[in-house]
Amino acid sequence: MMPPLALLLTVSSLLFTCGLFAVLTRRNAILILVGIELMLNAANINFIAFWRYGPPDPDLTGLLFVLFSIAIAAAEAAVGLAIILMVFRHTRSTDLNRLNSLHG
Amino acid sequence: MILLAALGAVWKARPVHAALLLALTLALTAGLYLTIGADFIGLVQFMVYVGAVAVLIVFSLLITRPGDEAEELARRPGAVVGGLACVLPVAAVLLYAVSQAGDLPPGTDASPTLSLATLGQSLFTTYAPAVLAVGVLLTAVMVGAVLFARDPDKKPPTRSDP
Repeated sequence: MMPPLALLLTVSSLLFTCGLFAVLTRRNAILILVGIELMLNAANINFIAFWRYGPPDPDLTGLLFVLFSIAIAAAEAAVGLAIILMVFRHTRSTDLNRLNSLHG
Repeated sequence: MILLAALGAVWKARPVHAALLLALTLALTAGLYLTIGADFIGLVQFMVYVGAVAVLIVFSLLITRPGDEAEELARRPGAVVGGLACVLPVAAVLLYAVSQAGDLPPGTDASPTLSLATLGQSLFTTYAPAVLAVGVLLTAVMVGAVLFARDPDKKPPTRSDP
């Protein structure tokens, strides 16, 4: 049972849109990170879909790109959360509306 | 699988449940990979995203205790309208692009017999520099995360002087 490629691309677009919406509307820094993860996932789905439906690829480029992308996304999440925790320790808040000490 | 997209949409509902729904979305994405035939990526996705990233996010939510849900919801309407105004054009463009892409390859129904040996071989021959770079990156990230997360007030453990 293979879903058509267009369906995968649609799912990926909607996922990306949800992530973008989360990033734009959320005010909690951690939930913004959640949105970023969703957007990265959407990109990964596209890579996998085109790898699977494209011409046979002996180099496995799409697959390995996703592998590295997942590794980098994990690293990004770790560093992001560490930064958020550090900010939280300073200000006791993860609300981005209150982190305005650089406001001129 | 369409459930996946629906969940991504439902997911916007509440702050704390958002992280758990994110985990569910990521797990469903892993299932999607398994369905398509990218078994290895599906498993990696499950381990790294569901196992590590989602748990990490849940734990940091636990630590930081986002308590201002009511305030967030009260502030909602304006932000939601603004967000939709920004997001809908993007969605429209993406979906339009997908719908205009004629002649998409139908895809072979035979699932590609991808052996792990092939994968490992190309990982460590063609892509060996990238693997090394990722290794360096992960090391740097680990050191950096520990440095960030360390309590700055606490003195580093000194050796007990005689």
